[in-house]
Amino acid sequence: MPTSQVASTSLAAGAVSSATRSITIALTGQPNVGKSTVFNMLTGLNQHVGNWPGKTVERREGTLEHHGRLVHIVDLPGAYCLTAASPEETITRDYVIRERPDVVMAVINAASLERNLYLVAELLALPVPLVLGLNMMDVAKQEGLDVEPAVLEAAIGIPVIPMVAARGEGVHELLDAALKVAQEGPAREPNRPEIRPDHRQVLAHLQELIAPFVPAPYPQDWVALKLLEGDAEITALMREHLPPEVWEQVHDVLHEHEDAIIAVASGRYDWIRRMTRAAVKRPRAGRITRTQRIDSVVTHPFLGLLLLAAVLAGIFGLTYALGGPMQRWVDEHVVHALASWLSVALAGGPAWLSGLVIDGILGGVGTMLTFLPILAIFFASMAFLEDVGYMARAAYVMDRFMHAIGLHGKSFMPLFLGFGCNVPAIMGSRIIESPRARLITILLAPLVPCAARLAVLTTLAQVFFPEHAAIVTWLLTGLPLVVLALLGVVTNKLLLGGEPTAFIMEMPLYHQPHWGTIGIAVWQRILSFLRKAGTVILSVSMIVWLLTVLPTGEIETSYMGRIGLWLEPVGRLMGLGWKPLVAILTSFVAKENALATLGVLYNVGESAGALGQALQAELSPASGLAFLVAEMLFIPCVSTLAVIKQETGSWKWVGVNVAMLTAISLVGGIAAYHLASMVL
Amino acid sequence: MIEELLSLLATGRPHTLGSLAETLGVSADLLAQMLADLERAGYVSVVEVQCGGQAGGYCAGCPSAGLCGLLQGKRLWTLTERGRRAAGEQPTSLTKGS
Repeated sequence: MPTSQVASTSLAAGAVSSATRSITIALTGQPNVGKSTVFNMLTGLNQHVGNWPGKTVERREGTLEHHGRLVHIVDLPGAYCLTAASPEETITRDYVIRERPDVVMAVINAASLERNLYLVAELLALPVPLVLGLNMMDVAKQEGLDVEPAVLEAAIGIPVIPMVAARGEGVHELLDAALKVAQEGPAREPNRPEIRPDHRQVLAHLQELIAPFVPAPYPQDWVALKLLEGDAEITALMREHLPPEVWEQVHDVLHEHEDAIIAVASGRYDWIRRMTRAAVKRPRAGRITRTQRIDSVVTHPFLGLLLLAAVLAGIFGLTYALGGPMQRWVDEHVVHALASWLSVALAGGPAWLSGLVIDGILGGVGTMLTFLPILAIFFASMAFLEDVGYMARAAYVMDRFMHAIGLHGKSFMPLFLGFGCNVPAIMGSRIIESPRARLITILLAPLVPCAARLAVLTTLAQVFFPEHAAIVTWLLTGLPLVVLALLGVVTNKLLLGGEPTAFIMEMPLYHQPHWGTIGIAVWQRILSFLRKAGTVILSVSMIVWLLTVLPTGEIETSYMGRIGLWLEPVGRLMGLGWKPLVAILTSFVAKENALATLGVLYNVGESAGALGQALQAELSPASGLAFLVAEMLFIPCVSTLAVIKQETGSWKWVGVNVAMLTAISLVGGIAAYHLASMVL
Repeated sequence: MIEELLSLLATGRPHTLGSLAETLGVSADLLAQMLADLERAGYVSVVEVQCGGQAGGYCAGCPSAGLCGLLQGKRLWTLTERGRRAAGEQPTSLTKGS
């Protein structure tokens, strides 16, 4: 349809005679429904852009001439509803109520009809006729949704125009429909949502109370509805306009029906359901359906857990199968070769220098770096699962397990956030109102297995149990969770008494892996690991080495040796010498230090393979297992402790957490040693 | 329908947005809108897992910082005390859905 455009808004306004009154159309819709496309297509270059008075929200207006009539279009900001919770919502409803355009043209997304009809449900309550542009019909069709505009039109009782605005289809038909309604008025009374039947009398009573005092141009029924909804802006407006004795009565009604908002919303949602039931045929096998079908297995309480166990077993199996040979190659051809070259290069220099470089730096950082291939494969596996959308399901399945064993109070919900990293778990405890429950949650949070701890377990298991690393890692992954469950059940029963708390979780859609994203994630994690190796691990390795050579040059009589003698009685309980205990202690600074410290203390400088042999020669399998258990349950990383300090506001609770986890780690190690001694 | 949502949340079982939408017979989009309504009115609270942003520089040294929890960026909704009270007070005949 040809549409000639005038030169500008101001010129156009001047050209309109009183006999040919211009028509004002308010264009509205939720964000990303193609509203701007419609606006641009209709107004072309005849647009004026400014700001809404007193707001930073952009105001766009434009004009066009259509069949000799000047049409003024006001593009209202995108709004999901009209609750006045955002400037966009306030602007939209205020404009329609105060400026009373001739017609409101709402663009809605046919592919997301239910949600878009929510705004329509609210617009229908306003005193301006409405026409609907049912946009994105092509997208709806692609997604298997069969939306019937004629049925929707009959159901709502207002014009509904099917459109594909991106291709210009239906835009001018929408304009025609809007102009017809503006000129001739609505063809019939629309089918509006109504408040739930059990609240209709309350609404009527409220309307009766406020009717004489509702200021123009606000519609009485709309104001009464908004009062029941608890709309702050309208409540303030009416408080200002109502005589005190009437306000008292209104206040009493609102107080008595404080949950009336549920009844109002219920009316809207039931209306939406009726409209969509009439006008939409559901997809047979859409994307969502496919996701739900997969989720029925992946998030199943029992099958989901089995799948998670299998996925973890697969990750560890793959990590060691591929990473093991690569690790040995790096050990032999890179670190060992570098150590040999350094031995020759530093042979003429002072003994302390070769000791520092080869035993201190290469023994610590070098040992750690030989495990980079294993970590890279572990990181890649995790990134892959994250990218395809599985990780969130893994956390969900673990939470269902926690729920099943009784960890279901609101206090335990934050722990669920901590799968992968403890920091969000501690921060998530802010949702707990009770200070005592919040504190207990914070103190237990470090027992949720985090990805960094798993990465360290992956490397240490290869050192202690090279033949059975995958099965040991797999078994120990769930250990902190078991301890958390035991402690959690006790605290929940004895201290918190939490009632079951449900939650709803947002899940990503499954999709094909994006190898570029996975590659970037792995690269970033390797870089982060290397940065840590070059700073924290390097510093700790050098300090540990210095403590092993000062003051006598002999480890047994060094400062570290003296500390070790003090620790030895504790170590004996787990079948460990003092060196592994020192390694656990240094992991307080960074988990990876445990391995680097072992490298320095066992003086294996140039070979991670030699470290494994030295440890296996000194420690029984039961002792090795005790070491891994103690390490898995030990104090969390410095970041987690810093967040505990931030959230509790006290170093005292950081100290309590350190003491608690040290004790748990010790008890766990001792128990693992004695139990394993019986069977290994 | 919104009463049914409150009742399901009050049963104490975890749900995914998708499974709950299926149970209620609505799209996940509309369910999100219902939750937004309930959140605005103080019946549910929402937590968004934003480890890195919230933790500031704390996680700078963590090699797994990119992972930041398996739920990074996801939202979780749970009933507030007001929501729990309201769920118990909804007319049962209206919670069956229609």
